[in-house]
Amino acid sequence: MRRRVFCIFALAAAGVVVAQRLPVTYERLLHADQEPGNWLMYSGGYNSWRYSRLDQINTGNVKKLKAQWLFQGRSPEKFETTPLVVDGVMYLTRPENDVFALDAATGRVLWAYNYRNPVSTYNCCGKVNRGLAILGNRLYMNTLDMHLIALDAKSGRELWKTAIYDYTLDGGYAATGAPLAVKDKIIVGMAGGEHPGSGFLDAYDAVTGKRVWRFHTVPQPGEANFGTWAGDSWKTGGVATWNNGSYDPETNTVFWGTSNPWPDYNADARKGDNLYSCSVLALDLDTGKLKWFFQFTPQDTHDWDATQIPVLLSGEVRGQKRNLMAWPARNGFYYLLDRDTGKFILAKSFVRQTWAKGFDDNGKPQVIAGNEPTVEGIDTVFPGVDGGANWMSHSYSPLTRLLYVFARDERRVFTKNSVRHLNDGEVSELNTASRPGATLQPAPANTGIFGAGGNLPAGPNPNRANPRPARFAPEESWGKVVAIDPLSGETKWEHKVISPPWGGVMSTAGNLVFGGTTEGMIFALDARTGERLWHFSANERVYASPISFLANGKQYVSLAVGDVLMTFGLE
Amino acid sequence: MAFGNSNRIRPRSVRRSLSLAACAAFFTPVLLTQPPGPSSFDTPESREQGRSLFQTHCAYCHGARGEGGRGVDLTTGVYRHGGSDAELYATIRNGIPGTEMPTVRATNDEVWKMVSFVKSIGAGGVVESAPGDRVAGKAVYDGKGKCAACHSIGAEGGILGPNLAGVGRRRNLAYLRESLVTPEADVPVLYRAIQVMPKTGPPVRGIRLNEDDLSIQLRDSQNNLRSFFKEELKEIRRDKPSLMPAYGDVLNAQELENLVAYLSSLRETL
Repeated sequence: MRRRVFCIFALAAAGVVVAQRLPVTYERLLHADQEPGNWLMYSGGYNSWRYSRLDQINTGNVKKLKAQWLFQGRSPEKFETTPLVVDGVMYLTRPENDVFALDAATGRVLWAYNYRNPVSTYNCCGKVNRGLAILGNRLYMNTLDMHLIALDAKSGRELWKTAIYDYTLDGGYAATGAPLAVKDKIIVGMAGGEHPGSGFLDAYDAVTGKRVWRFHTVPQPGEANFGTWAGDSWKTGGVATWNNGSYDPETNTVFWGTSNPWPDYNADARKGDNLYSCSVLALDLDTGKLKWFFQFTPQDTHDWDATQIPVLLSGEVRGQKRNLMAWPARNGFYYLLDRDTGKFILAKSFVRQTWAKGFDDNGKPQVIAGNEPTVEGIDTVFPGVDGGANWMSHSYSPLTRLLYVFARDERRVFTKNSVRHLNDGEVSELNTASRPGATLQPAPANTGIFGAGGNLPAGPNPNRANPRPARFAPEESWGKVVAIDPLSGETKWEHKVISPPWGGVMSTAGNLVFGGTTEGMIFALDARTGERLWHFSANERVYASPISFLANGKQYVSLAVGDVLMTFGLE
Repeated sequence: MAFGNSNRIRPRSVRRSLSLAACAAFFTPVLLTQPPGPSSFDTPESREQGRSLFQTHCAYCHGARGEGGRGVDLTTGVYRHGGSDAELYATIRNGIPGTEMPTVRATNDEVWKMVSFVKSIGAGGVVESAPGDRVAGKAVYDGKGKCAACHSIGAEGGILGPNLAGVGRRRNLAYLRESLVTPEADVPVLYRAIQVMPKTGPPVRGIRLNEDDLSIQLRDSQNNLRSFFKEELKEIRRDKPSLMPAYGDVLNAQELENLVAYLSSLRETL
């Protein structure tokens, strides 16, 4: 193995493994597909295909794939990062908000940046971070205490730190997603949909860190679409923007998904469609003005966020060439939208679903009664609490013209109560100071998750006469990589795995689909058939999506597993 | 310029253990150890034992009498991370993450004895006063010395040398003078200069960032991150451990003193 590595290495100029070209200009980001050896943004490119044009590793030789190096994260938190790679230098985040620059050929650390959050932060689901953005000579990271930080990519030196919002307000905010760098702006989302806050999406000046615009994900008085929340419920409506987005340079439009309304499982106090929850927003990059929106799940009561990554593609629909957006949603349906107008084209389920019998011409679901969360708990609703898709990345291959979704097909229970559940161990009173009119009470311990119900843990519960386990027999739930024809919504093949996943997938020009399971089995599937061609038993949970890159002219694939970033290459 | 680690007076094994301790402090979560109750070690006997422990664990950086050098002058009685018994205990016990102050590998009792000694030497200290003109020294820093080409103060400046924010608090005057005149006397481990000689292509000089048996990583003199497999190298030269010029040949005596005064005035850390 070593000899082969060195042979390839010898081809590199003057024995130089790393010959980094900085800055990473907007032009480079715009044409990221022309640099297949690099991974320049969270989803690989602005169209969010998470597709690598590299084909050294392919269906013919993938069986020879071996682990090449590891990066030891040494963190007990979930490792959700997507690394960036720029000309042989890999940049990645480690929970909570540390950043490392590595030699992409060996994994050796080049520099490290350590950020210290306050002891108490208000993240719903772990002190996680999903990655960085790069523009010019700067790296950008969101932090759990709601800051946007710019680092010098060559040294890791902190250049500036901008406060996004007071992370302690309204039950708490956090910023866990990777930023998106476009033109001269850094687009930043926030988490906190499980708390009675009010969501937004921000744009910051990439050089100075000053905020350029803020879009409120719950319409404010006087704004269009205000009035879709009963009473004052809009004040505490949540609607976070906690994942990454996409960008269409032709129309100068940023696309970004929004989270559930709050409280998650109880809509009694928030009748109405609750705009713009569970929606995709199309915003003008320069101004942050809304061009259009599409709501996947009106008045959601199942925590079916629409914080998936928008996949942008083009194709012929009903004889007409159109710019499209493919969206496998958490509510279990695959949607195809016209991305110039937001117009609904089609929706088809890709996992078991029980809640909608169809859609009207505008894509509004025709809801089936009897699927609402109940005080006793209802376990006949599909998809489950964590949805058919979640935040994990989908992938689109222009070779196969298929969209790959690592889906969750699972049985869970939905409960409803009138209280909220604070962070683990948190006992403070609900902070309503900035939200007059909020009247909800803190929850007693162990009465639910995420605001007014949810998938209750096992054990006694004051709201339920017959407590039952929240999780079911393994054979009732599973995961699957689904290959969807994005233009028709038809499923071409499925590759089933034993557990619902928390990792995403990446397709490559080698006709492979990479991903990792909850049990830590890293796999490569034939992108045309779904046949598993290679696997590696890493034996820890995968909470991340893969990338691929070149170092010294050799293709690698990296994926975070447990607290380790694993990197594979051919012998 | 390079201000840091000396290989003159410490045995290699000690330097290595300190370096490992620093690494441990860097990569592991902070131990938020609670100090045991009120100190029962604030006695003459304990102070003497603390003095001995101080020589083992602390004197390398803080000087044999706590007068400072590579580390902060402890005789001033002013401690940035707190001067109470509990705060001193926590600083010694846990180190200061993100700085050169490592965790100290000692028992709780031993840490308390060191606290007792540190308190005793900090009772009547005074801050050193630099004889030079710090304003004129800043002009040297920005002009003739070209220091900012390699060093930063905060977010501004070069990255080939250590960041000098707060260097006046961490280093005493003698140390600063020596670093200017004899830069190679003490070079921080992350800023040690090397020159790699590829089998093909020109030599590359820079500072070593990382190394194992198979590869070596450096920042070259143009600030580029570079990595080499050793099998492709003829040689790695380490005979000139600092990239910094000897400023005794560049500046006159007054300019040097002024520069020392300026550096000593840099008290704010990042």
